[in-house]
Amino acid sequence: MSDRTLVLVFLRGGADGLTLVAPTGEDAYFRARPTLAVKRGSGHRLDDRFELHPLLAPLGRFFDDGKLAVIPACGSDDDTRSHFYAQDLMDHGGHNVSGGWLGRFLRQAQGSGGLGVLEAVTLGSAVSESLRGAPTATAFTSLNDLSGDDDHALMGAVGALTAGDTLLGAPALAALAASERLDALRKAADHPANGATYPTSAQHGDTAADFAARLRLTARLIQARVGLKVACVDLDGWDSHFVQDTVLPGRLSALGQGLSAFATDLGQDLAAVSVVVISEFGRRVAENTSLGTDHGRGGACLILGGGVTGGVQGKWPGLSDDFLEGPGDVAVANDYREVLWPVLARHGALDASPIFPG
Amino acid sequence: MITRRHLLLGGGAGLLALSGCGPQQAVDLVLGVEPPTTAVNPAATLDLPAHVLRRLTFGEHPDDRAALLALGKTPESAVEAWVVRQLHPETIDDSVCERLIRRREALAEPLGELYEFKERVLLHELTAATLLRAVYSKRQLHEQLCHFWNDHFNVDMSKGECAWVTVAYDREVIRPHALGRFSDLLRAVVLSPAMLWYLDGRVNRVEGKGAKPNENYARELLELHTLGVDGGYTQQDVMEVARCLSGWTVRDRHQWRKGLVEFHRDAHDDGAKIVLGETLPAGGGERDLDHVLRLVTAHPATARQVARKLCTRFIADDPPAAAVDHVAQAFTVSRGDLALTMRALIDSDAFRAPAGFATKLKRPFHYVASCLRATAAHSDAGDALIDYLGRLGHLPFQFPTPDGQPEHAEAWTGTLLWRWRFAGAFARGALPGTRADTAALVQRCGSPGAVATHLFARQADARENAALAVAGDNALALALASPAFQRC
Repeated sequence: MSDRTLVLVFLRGGADGLTLVAPTGEDAYFRARPTLAVKRGSGHRLDDRFELHPLLAPLGRFFDDGKLAVIPACGSDDDTRSHFYAQDLMDHGGHNVSGGWLGRFLRQAQGSGGLGVLEAVTLGSAVSESLRGAPTATAFTSLNDLSGDDDHALMGAVGALTAGDTLLGAPALAALAASERLDALRKAADHPANGATYPTSAQHGDTAADFAARLRLTARLIQARVGLKVACVDLDGWDSHFVQDTVLPGRLSALGQGLSAFATDLGQDLAAVSVVVISEFGRRVAENTSLGTDHGRGGACLILGGGVTGGVQGKWPGLSDDFLEGPGDVAVANDYREVLWPVLARHGALDASPIFPG
Repeated sequence: MITRRHLLLGGGAGLLALSGCGPQQAVDLVLGVEPPTTAVNPAATLDLPAHVLRRLTFGEHPDDRAALLALGKTPESAVEAWVVRQLHPETIDDSVCERLIRRREALAEPLGELYEFKERVLLHELTAATLLRAVYSKRQLHEQLCHFWNDHFNVDMSKGECAWVTVAYDREVIRPHALGRFSDLLRAVVLSPAMLWYLDGRVNRVEGKGAKPNENYARELLELHTLGVDGGYTQQDVMEVARCLSGWTVRDRHQWRKGLVEFHRDAHDDGAKIVLGETLPAGGGERDLDHVLRLVTAHPATARQVARKLCTRFIADDPPAAAVDHVAQAFTVSRGDLALTMRALIDSDAFRAPAGFATKLKRPFHYVASCLRATAAHSDAGDALIDYLGRLGHLPFQFPTPDGQPEHAEAWTGTLLWRWRFAGAFARGALPGTRADTAALVQRCGSPGAVATHLFARQADARENAALAVAGDNALALALASPAFQRC
């Protein structure tokens, strides 16, 4: 069984891939985005074609270290440009399939072994659709939801009563150990490691602070070795139809500062972690008349962590009119399943077809 | 006011290990009458009332034993009367539970109207209703069998339009037939919108020369729903059955009369087929389906497969072959009458073997429901309970693969920590919308000490007594979390 952790960050609302990963090497980009284009040379340079948005600059050093893969023109075969349909497809990993792709992955990775106590979590109010069908899944926002002093005496007493049980004895010891790790974690001082500084509400706003708190909690679970295999964290609010430049900076900064702090906090542990950042679709190449962008097709995917082949990966169809799709959208050159599968394989998945059927 | 500490400690006397519950036993103890010893030596005799009240239900309610014993002059005749009633659920007044369910109006909507609701609403209402029925229905054996068949004929509300039509599946396919005739149940399943969506029967169309049917449902029909994987069918049979079922489909939610199941003759492969050695002549059309269902229902492998699964659920994870044969024979002789089949199971030596008492690990849903039943709890079956079912990995109607939630204990032993936390939170009153009625519990059981005996269906042993004696306010939680209460 793999002891790696996959962290899925879903950017809800259709994040503009051309802002996250700006194709500043193409003149067509500046023609289509007279007011919204990222200025050439203002962000972290990836290669001759792309640079990261300046607010994602904190991720630049991970790119330079080969720990960050950037996949432009990534998306699904859903061309409705509907948030609902596109998210539904990307959460479930197929049309008319049972459960979510992470749920099926966990069931496959589980094999015949028992359940971990905290192998799949959503840092949020409800278990993510992508985790549907997982052998076990928990949604929470605080460690107090998972362990408490009220149960301390009970755990010890029931553990002792169960320890000699033929069937339940060994699982009881494992449950006690997990319980103790969670208790210790809850009581431990909440100090990020390696000098990592997560964004705060005062400095970066509530969106960034809230996202950072969820990432920090994820890091604590990884550091405490509770058997976490998958964590899902959403970052909402990317639907930038109207004055995009007022909508996105808070999100970009949350993402850049948050992920950078998370990776720093993990330190050596990052080698056994993959953070995948996806969105249901990208946005129209040309900006609209209200200084925003409308629903498009190909977006950007980021993968940060150990075992990642860094660099700009996948195909890039370019922005010339001949290669745009429909009303002028970046073509989906890299199917999200082809991007996700190598990550899942690294995390112990054996067979792609049950996870992404069809 | 009776505190939790008093509840299980019974004052200074430690646990008064009364056998069973009820005022009569309390009086007997006061008068110095020796209470009957139950399961002190598990190999001696079986406490049959306790066994049926635990194994065939979602847990023994404090009133259950007295109510059962009132049905006959002897425990044996009372159990007999109880079993007969439970096998004919329509003879049991269940109006209290039905009133609770009726408040969830979405669940009563006709199939076509279900599409008007948000998927999440239907999922929540059906999950809550399933919990409420498990806890409050007096038709407990029927409820157990509804769960059994929902596993056997698993569908997953996250697939396609199952999100809407599963409410009708549980209501119109599983519940009416759970103790009826297997052939009726199977036919209702095969022609249900939910199964047509879940296993792709709706897209099994054979149009034009050389077109290949979609085999998904045909395979699961043989492998899981009827003959079983070693049932003696071949890949050729799977393909032939797929041809027989081709053309049956369901209208989707964008069509007029959404959810309507219908036969498209032009999408049906109307050539001759050979299924399990029998030739179906060409031109059978929609009659092919019933022909196939007759063949698979009457096949001896189906009787064995259904019997084996029922015995695994109600007797033991690895049931004795003799019991499976006995139950399979009842299935065959009764032509798939499920009440008579269950009757044979309940009458079998294996079901009544004293060594089998309290040996089955409750699955998580059963465990949660039994905590509530055993403590006469009040509950709205709200999110606090449903969240725990998710942590325990046992949400109804959300299992992804068609084999249904696993039955054997090993699949569930990893859930202990969440079971314990549930017991703690529940006994502490920390689950919004759900609380144990501890005072009523003591009153109904006759004395505080009798509560532990009620929960374990036997006297607490020395270790349990010692642990409970020092558990203080955690006594009820400890009893519910203890290995004895994890089993039925």
